[in-house]
Amino acid sequence: MNELFGSSRVARGLVSSMAWLCYIFLVVPSLIVIPISFGNPGQIEFPPRQFSLELYRQFFTDAAWWGSTVQSLIVACLTTLATLVLAVPAAYALARSRLPGRGGLQGLFMMPMLVPVIVLGLGLYLQYSNWGLLDTTAGLVLAHVMLTTPYIMVSVMSGLQHSDVALETVASIMGASRLRIFFRVVLPQLKISIAVGALFAFLMSLDEVVVAYFLTGTDTMTLPVKMYSSIRWELTPVLAAVSTLLTVLSLMIALGIIAMQGKTEASK
Amino acid sequence: MAQSSSASDLSPWTALLLLAPLTAVMLLILIYPLGLTVWTSLYNGRFSFDAYVELASSTLFLRVLRNTFEIAIGGTLVSLLFGYPVALHLAAQPPRKRTAYLIMVMLPFWTSILVKSFALVAVFGNQGLINQFLGFVSGGTLNVPMMFNRVGVILGMINFLLPFMILSILGSLLALDRRLILAAETMGAGPLRIFWKITLPLSLPGVLAGVLINVTLSIGMYITPALLGGRQDMMVANLVDFYTRQTLDWTAASATAVALLILSGLLVALLGKVRGSAGLAGAGA
Repeated sequence: MNELFGSSRVARGLVSSMAWLCYIFLVVPSLIVIPISFGNPGQIEFPPRQFSLELYRQFFTDAAWWGSTVQSLIVACLTTLATLVLAVPAAYALARSRLPGRGGLQGLFMMPMLVPVIVLGLGLYLQYSNWGLLDTTAGLVLAHVMLTTPYIMVSVMSGLQHSDVALETVASIMGASRLRIFFRVVLPQLKISIAVGALFAFLMSLDEVVVAYFLTGTDTMTLPVKMYSSIRWELTPVLAAVSTLLTVLSLMIALGIIAMQGKTEASK
Repeated sequence: MAQSSSASDLSPWTALLLLAPLTAVMLLILIYPLGLTVWTSLYNGRFSFDAYVELASSTLFLRVLRNTFEIAIGGTLVSLLFGYPVALHLAAQPPRKRTAYLIMVMLPFWTSILVKSFALVAVFGNQGLINQFLGFVSGGTLNVPMMFNRVGVILGMINFLLPFMILSILGSLLALDRRLILAAETMGAGPLRIFWKITLPLSLPGVLAGVLINVTLSIGMYITPALLGGRQDMMVANLVDFYTRQTLDWTAASATAVALLILSGLLVALLGKVRGSAGLAGAGA
């Protein structure tokens, strides 16, 4: 059965045991927080010897934890909306025009993906300290818009490549205005790629820590920054409850994305 | 207004109008801060390369640079050592089963880096799962420090790097023409010889791309060394933070950041040569 590494039983055994070691190593860190979060509120304990919801009560009632969570959700929502409004028309223009220098612009929009985040964090820190934008929600949202743009771009551009240009041509010949074509013909075809890009951008903003660590202060601290300092300085068991909630949310978003991508594959 | 060549094409003015807002934001929030960083590294009252000269002779910077290379290359090698067998295992599965295994491989990709860091401390820390077990087995004498040192950084690193390595090698393995192997088997080649002469050489492009992606991703790591490493495991990104907040030396911080930017730019260019930049999705954590 196994042509790639031959039929030797020893080789096959070695390969599968190394592979399983990796599967466990990759999966366990994401899942082990769940049992810990329902266990002993006094210390991080695995396997848990008691059942309690105390850690969740602490999380939801502690102003520092809950406040930073709300802040993160606000930032992620604003970021997603703003990036969509800016990037979807830009992607459309890139795909449906023959402007010279399109390649350069596309490179500019993809660039945040290729620059180490710490460099962006420092640059924005220097810039914002001159402009008085440090420790403001607006400043952080702007930075996250820049960081999430490439991901929405990739998703929408690929959606545009697969959408039917002929429909737009027909609508245009029938006398529909550009605006009408965009809203009535283009956007409906892009529904799924926009939703995929938006979910991805939301998750990225929600999890982003390096830039947020440079730009936020006590007033605007996001959940990842709060988690970062908590892991660094106190390692409280509340982290297990926070991690569980975050993991469940991430998995729901991941499943949503996979399901939607499956839908586009099927419709092709 | 100029008529464009096809009815579905936008006129240049409409296209410009649609592109202008995002372009403005990117110039303001991406290009400007990068330029400001370069400027800050070069201009401190007057124009000079002093910051770079100082870096090149700073023992701290040189030590951190060596750490960075050691950790990035070490992590990449471990990731290759374990990633290759995983890719082989995946390639040998029937498609439906492979999808199930791939979900496990991709799980860390979706999990927050902070959740993973916290969980790794819970598993590998001094009071963690493994040391509890070792202590229990040995009657309390055995405790292996695996966190807040080099081992911890490498563990955190490969947890992040493995999916990229595995997917890259898997791509090459799945593209491999299995008839070659059948032919070799028919001609009487043994399994080791088949692996050595066919599977391995034909998967090298995937290996090379995986290695480059891993090095590129790890060279700029900030969170993992800060949370899972010790004092001696500071990497370049941590040094940028150290100069910015601890010593408030923005010139040195900027010069360090520019050095990192150039280094990772070279790696990205190299990777682009090996494989289209599409292979880099998700870079820069």
